[in-house]
Amino acid sequence: MQLLKPARLLITLVAVTGLAGAPAWADDDPIRIGAIYILSGSAANYGKFAQQGIQLAIDEINQDGGVMGRDLEVITEDSQGKASVAIQAARKLVYQDQADVLMGLDSSGVAQGLVPVMPELKKPLIITHAATPDVTGKLCNAYTYRISNNVAQNMKAAAIIAGETGAKRWTTIGPDYAFGHQSWEFFGKALKEANPDVELMSDTAFPRFGAEDFTPFINGVMAAKPDGVLISVWGGDLVNFVRQANNLGFFEQDMEIMFTVGAATEVLSALGEQMPEGVWLSTRYWYDGFDNDVNKRFVSAYIDRYGVPPSYNAEGAYAAVYAYKKAIESAGSTDGDKLAQTLSGMSLDAPNGTIAFRAGDHQALVGPNWGKSGPMNDKHGIRTLADLRIFDGEKVSRTIEETGCKL
Amino acid sequence: MKQMILLGALLVALIGLVALPWFAPYFYIFIVTEILIMGLFAASFNLVFGYTGMLSFGHAAFFGVGCYATAMTLLHLKWPFLYCLLLSVGAGALLALVIGFFSVRLNEVYFAMLTLAFGMMVFSVAHHWRSVTNGSDGIAGFTLGDFGLGLDLTLGNPAVYYHVVLVFVVLAAAVLYLIGRSSFGMILQAIRQNPERVAFCGLNVRSYRLAAFTLGGAFAGLAGGLMAPFLRVASPEMLHWSTSAEPVLMSILGGTGYFLGPFVGSAMFILLETWITSITQAWMLFLGIVLALMVMFFRRGLLGTFLDWWLERK
Repeated sequence: MQLLKPARLLITLVAVTGLAGAPAWADDDPIRIGAIYILSGSAANYGKFAQQGIQLAIDEINQDGGVMGRDLEVITEDSQGKASVAIQAARKLVYQDQADVLMGLDSSGVAQGLVPVMPELKKPLIITHAATPDVTGKLCNAYTYRISNNVAQNMKAAAIIAGETGAKRWTTIGPDYAFGHQSWEFFGKALKEANPDVELMSDTAFPRFGAEDFTPFINGVMAAKPDGVLISVWGGDLVNFVRQANNLGFFEQDMEIMFTVGAATEVLSALGEQMPEGVWLSTRYWYDGFDNDVNKRFVSAYIDRYGVPPSYNAEGAYAAVYAYKKAIESAGSTDGDKLAQTLSGMSLDAPNGTIAFRAGDHQALVGPNWGKSGPMNDKHGIRTLADLRIFDGEKVSRTIEETGCKL
Repeated sequence: MKQMILLGALLVALIGLVALPWFAPYFYIFIVTEILIMGLFAASFNLVFGYTGMLSFGHAAFFGVGCYATAMTLLHLKWPFLYCLLLSVGAGALLALVIGFFSVRLNEVYFAMLTLAFGMMVFSVAHHWRSVTNGSDGIAGFTLGDFGLGLDLTLGNPAVYYHVVLVFVVLAAAVLYLIGRSSFGMILQAIRQNPERVAFCGLNVRSYRLAAFTLGGAFAGLAGGLMAPFLRVASPEMLHWSTSAEPVLMSILGGTGYFLGPFVGSAMFILLETWITSITQAWMLFLGIVLALMVMFFRRGLLGTFLDWWLERK
């Protein structure tokens, strides 16, 4: 019988422990990002821009050696703008495609459905577009973050501008789901607080999301003769809306007009000169508004590659990939729970400045960008934004108590 | 002999279903959960269509109402899941009784159109009544509590929930099967084949049709109630006429002539959807091609065609 030599025993032991620990660092598998966007229907263009933003970030990172020596890879699923579809897609991404992290979401309704499911999936989710305050409010949880601004932040800024216009009687036209209703609710609350003498009209219009014909709603609002109209219609709907409103003379009325997501370049490039001059347009990020190195590099790389300036959806998606890079590197792991903890309070340099995920509700304190539509930018084929105002994220955000989030 | 083989095959399938979480990839627990629930939905529709011969285009109303009933009780009242399901069954049956009362007096295309109209009415209510149904966003964000009966089940665990669904679907399917085999079920089939003759036998055809319609609604309500915790949202799309079309397609794919046809159809529908959508977004195009081929060449459906051929073989 042969005795075990101490040296051999040691080698065996090292080999065994080495094997057991190997997947933690010697993994050649790419790190998988699961992305969920609207890729079909009237808002499909938003998904396309987000995919481009993700791809740009991933290619930059991979050329630079990846994350902890591993490449990044994205798998994209279509939410169709429906919560049930997005939940199924998230399960597929996590359990079938082995995604390490999730990102995306364009619609508030989708976000309200998916976010409560995140604690079961045990993977972090960075929302890059959907704006309902609830997901970093009463529905908040340990795994859910948002890098783009939300309805509460944007409407606080909108109310400041609306107050300065001096218009007294306000109404709204918005899509008939969470986003449209919450935009009006938060706008009204903020406006009324600052200016108690304004009137929030009861004649509001909420056409169905994806409705083709906005004529009756436009006529109804014109007949009610408000001083100001808040319009939260977005995506392909907004393109149709503006064209029909032009035909009906909507923009020639004596009214203040504010589009809460009007400066999405997806919409501006589809409309070109049809977007009237002199209306207020908002966006989560305006490519021309930030004078920092990250933004300069991002905008020029984006235009070089895709021929158009980046939209806010492209920027949010691009920044989210970099947020995950930073989180994975500081956590030293792709474990869902560890990443979710690392993201809390983390800050990063994004195209729209240095932003941080607030620990109390996981909302990035980013300020909305508002401006008045100006002359055409002939090179990019879209309207410029005049009088651009970039609001301070800290000042327009709700306090943690106001959000109702308990983490 | 052949009966024994069929019974054996069924038993093997059942054992396979029970053991699924231990051998299949995790993702397939979700797929099979959906197949079972949609199979029950399709089977409840087939009681109305395959047995009694009434082509309803509003069956999603009962499915959707069941889903809303469970979702809303979980959200507002936090009842144990079992009681939510019972409420869903009741809600589906009650709505079917009301819609059926007006619809079963008509035949064929008029019946189909009337059920479609009622279905769209229910959809409109859910879509517009924002203060109650939360409009187009639907009911989401509810949590799963206890099961009821003092059973300690973690319903949030997909594997546990899969087994809960399996038990309910198998029990419901057994009841549906027995209904189909009972003298009541025989009368329903006789009504499909020749309603005049049944009427001449002194039976009230309209009452039987209404009873079948209400029963179909009750089982669709149960399927809807099981769907709510699975999807985690009850949305108006579940009440839409396009959802009503799904059990019709599933029944035709699987075969309306055999009890298990709708379940086989549900499996085909969902597996094809899963596999094809991972290759292309245009899955409806492929479904259309498959459906056209089935209707042209295998009118009895996949299961029906196979069993017809196999049972007649000497």
